[in-house]
Amino acid sequence: MGSRKLQTHIAPSGYKLPSIHAFPPFFCFQPAAKTRVSQDDQWVQLILSYARFRRLFTLTVDDAEKTGSDWEEVLINERINRRLTKQQVRTLLQMLVARGQATYEPPRQDDSVLLYWRKPGEWAEVLHSWAVSTGQLNTIMTFYEIQAPSLPSELSDIPTPLLKRAIDILTKTNRAQIIESGEGDGVRFFAGS
Amino acid sequence: MALRRGAGLAAFERHKADIQSYATLSESLTRQSLDALEVQLDHFRMTLQRFASSHREDIKKDPEFRAQFQQMCISIGVDPLAGPQKGGWWAEMLGMGDWQYELGVQIVDVCVGTRDKNGGMIDMRELLRLLNKLRGIAVLEGKESSTPGAVTEEDVLRSIKTLKPLGAGYEIIHIGSRKMVRSIVKELDMDQAKVLEIAESVGGKVWAELVAEAAGWPVDRAVAALENMLLRDGSCWIDDQDPEASAVYWVISVLEWE
Repeated sequence: MGSRKLQTHIAPSGYKLPSIHAFPPFFCFQPAAKTRVSQDDQWVQLILSYARFRRLFTLTVDDAEKTGSDWEEVLINERINRRLTKQQVRTLLQMLVARGQATYEPPRQDDSVLLYWRKPGEWAEVLHSWAVSTGQLNTIMTFYEIQAPSLPSELSDIPTPLLKRAIDILTKTNRAQIIESGEGDGVRFFAGS
Repeated sequence: MALRRGAGLAAFERHKADIQSYATLSESLTRQSLDALEVQLDHFRMTLQRFASSHREDIKKDPEFRAQFQQMCISIGVDPLAGPQKGGWWAEMLGMGDWQYELGVQIVDVCVGTRDKNGGMIDMRELLRLLNKLRGIAVLEGKESSTPGAVTEEDVLRSIKTLKPLGAGYEIIHIGSRKMVRSIVKELDMDQAKVLEIAESVGGKVWAELVAEAAGWPVDRAVAALENMLLRDGSCWIDDQDPEASAVYWVISVLEWE
């Protein structure tokens, strides 16, 4: 019969799934420690790259075993009839959090994470550059104006907890200030040094 | 929310003006960042050269370190084996002039770099493919000897012979009709060799009963051989969702990856 070639696959979303995704044991956590590390690395890489591709910010345990979820293409491979269980996804979430690639959101539960395909520090820089390049320094902006700007930006649809974290980081270097108001929070950006 | 933009004609005009000023701005930003990037890259290349000459010994001695160093070179577009001099940039930096020895280094790099995936046993064809990819030579499988500049099987065999005195334990092993390069210093036990041969003949996926029947062994012996490969050698992966058996083993070195 000779060897079997594991192929990459273009998913309906246009994302190119790596050949490891067509490898049935990829969906079974490996007992040998070194193999497992390599497997974990590949899952983490796949999840983050897919999230970046589709601009997905959250991954939850309920995304497993569910058709029609945003994550279906990754967590299920119909072509080889393999899927990750909820428990396996929970383990992946733990790993993402332990590696600093995600954070539990909301805190104090382990079913759902906010993914850091960009770290909060990088988001802070993106946010600040955007404020500078669109001439928004020194004026008060609402979070809504950042999340749904008239011209779509890299920050469109950024979840509020992540936006807050990015602003917090800018606050520490005096490049932003939170303005609290009854109608919802706002922020003012400064050029900084 | 009094700050949100209005929807009147003024807002439309402002929107148009916005677009224009973004365009001008983005142009100047792109130019600036390109200039800055070039300066950074030059600087980085210089630093890399300094790093290579001061860590020459480590790079030569430690294959994992060397693999990482090489990866660093590749990620910024420096091919350590390319260059104006014979033997290339690498030779200049590290004083390794001999083409054969350099190929040896690349063989070690590929073998070490893929060890986690294949347990230290790589198919000759896969090795050739990766070596030629590393060297940036496009070559069709099996057409190495007719492609100018491509590394051929004979080159690899000769290089492995050159590596022998170093005690690196690189060896060619014949499994069925295929040649494998083994890079782990370990005796390949007979049972494992048999499993590899069976896996090769069925396309990589095996389970205890199948191995037992093909080899004429009791099932326990097949289980032991497979578990050894799984846990001790890392040369296969287990799958618990296969309908054919509760534990199915995929022998990595028999598979091809796109």
